[in-house]
Amino acid sequence: MGNEDFSARLQTAVARHIGAPGTIHDLQRLTGGANKTTWSFDADVAATRQQFILQLASARANDENNPLAGVSPHLTADEDARLMIAAVKAGVPAPRVRAILKPDDGLGGGYVTERVAGETLATKILRDDRLAAARAAMTKQAGKILADIHRIPLNEVPFLMKLTPAQHIAAQRRIIEFLDFHSPAIELGLKWAEQHAPKETRHTVVHGDFRAGNFIVGEEGIRLVLDWEIAQSGDPMQDLGWVCVKTWRFGGRKPVGGFGSRDELFEAYEKAGGHSVDPAHVRFWEAYGGVRWGIGCLSMGLRGMEEVGIERCAIGRRIEEPLWDYLNLIEGRD
Amino acid sequence: MPQSIPKTTVLLEAAMKYLESELMPTLTGYHRFQTRVTVNVLNTVRRELELRGAQAEAEHRRLVAILGHDGDVEALSRELADKIRAGAISIDDPALRAHVRQSLADALAINNPKWLTR
Repeated sequence: MGNEDFSARLQTAVARHIGAPGTIHDLQRLTGGANKTTWSFDADVAATRQQFILQLASARANDENNPLAGVSPHLTADEDARLMIAAVKAGVPAPRVRAILKPDDGLGGGYVTERVAGETLATKILRDDRLAAARAAMTKQAGKILADIHRIPLNEVPFLMKLTPAQHIAAQRRIIEFLDFHSPAIELGLKWAEQHAPKETRHTVVHGDFRAGNFIVGEEGIRLVLDWEIAQSGDPMQDLGWVCVKTWRFGGRKPVGGFGSRDELFEAYEKAGGHSVDPAHVRFWEAYGGVRWGIGCLSMGLRGMEEVGIERCAIGRRIEEPLWDYLNLIEGRD
Repeated sequence: MPQSIPKTTVLLEAAMKYLESELMPTLTGYHRFQTRVTVNVLNTVRRELELRGAQAEAEHRRLVAILGHDGDVEALSRELADKIRAGAISIDDPALRAHVRQSLADALAINNPKWLTR
């Protein structure tokens, strides 16, 4: 599909789902990943020019020939949009969905959301002087937002993959077996996780990748939580542990995403009605998060070897960072 | 045959010096970022050339001590991973813990030494 053709189809879709005339301005591709591509554009709707984001699923995203399809959670574009609609309804600052594309729009799977201005680069969120007030506010906001995410009614999002902690670990093991990788550090981490996985947990919507890098941040703090595509239904403490994983501090010192303290996060979560937090339970997810991210680096490194691409190759060499962190956590050396 | 000169590490230093000091200041955006990643990768290669030989010898000695027999270091490491997976060695075994800790520290000394002091 040429650019002109693409823009024309997008205009037709905007006119159909959001409002005529749908004339498109400033269509720009922002990112293209393995799973989706993101576009920014403006469109004339009735008498006003409005700002939008378009997310398109790539053909590979839910490919049934992918041997690991269905092993770990991955939403279709349609499900992703439906989850964000349910999240907004529950008071969560998720992108506002304006259109879910239909097959006869001729654009593939995808959706259009309202575009919100702000910073998404984690290193800038953690260091930019203009965002100092935002950083001071973000931990409390994160606690409240997580409590709200964990209250989204599961019956509104029945398509979420249901994973107990044990099933979550089993999925990572299947990935390692598929990759045919034999690392003592990873095996130690998976075995430790199997032996220490919480057995009694609540069961809620879990965002799955809640951290700086997936936020839009303005001067007042977190404006939007993005990237819902690996959401699942499982132990809500997973989200609290994940945002504490050292990798997501991006060089910052504070344990919660580089910007806050655990106590402040837990207190805000509890105060927002998110149930009481057992720090040891969260610590399990933080340690296991290191194992999980180590396996993520491994997958990317192996893809980097296939394509001989510098970025993924470099990420592959970061595998020991989260593994070192989990080992320190389980040995009480953090 | 004597080693050719300049030796490998000096060739790498020269390549990195050009990329970092001369090329990078002329670049912006995507290519500046990619060049930064490339310099980092070359630095990793340089550290691996310097450190890996001695590390591999020590790793080999540790693996032989844990597994009780000799072999190629990669094969021994794979054997240890499979033993952990099968539950044939306890993950609380002090020699195993010390080995994994040292192997991760060695790899970080090559891949990202700054991580060790964070």
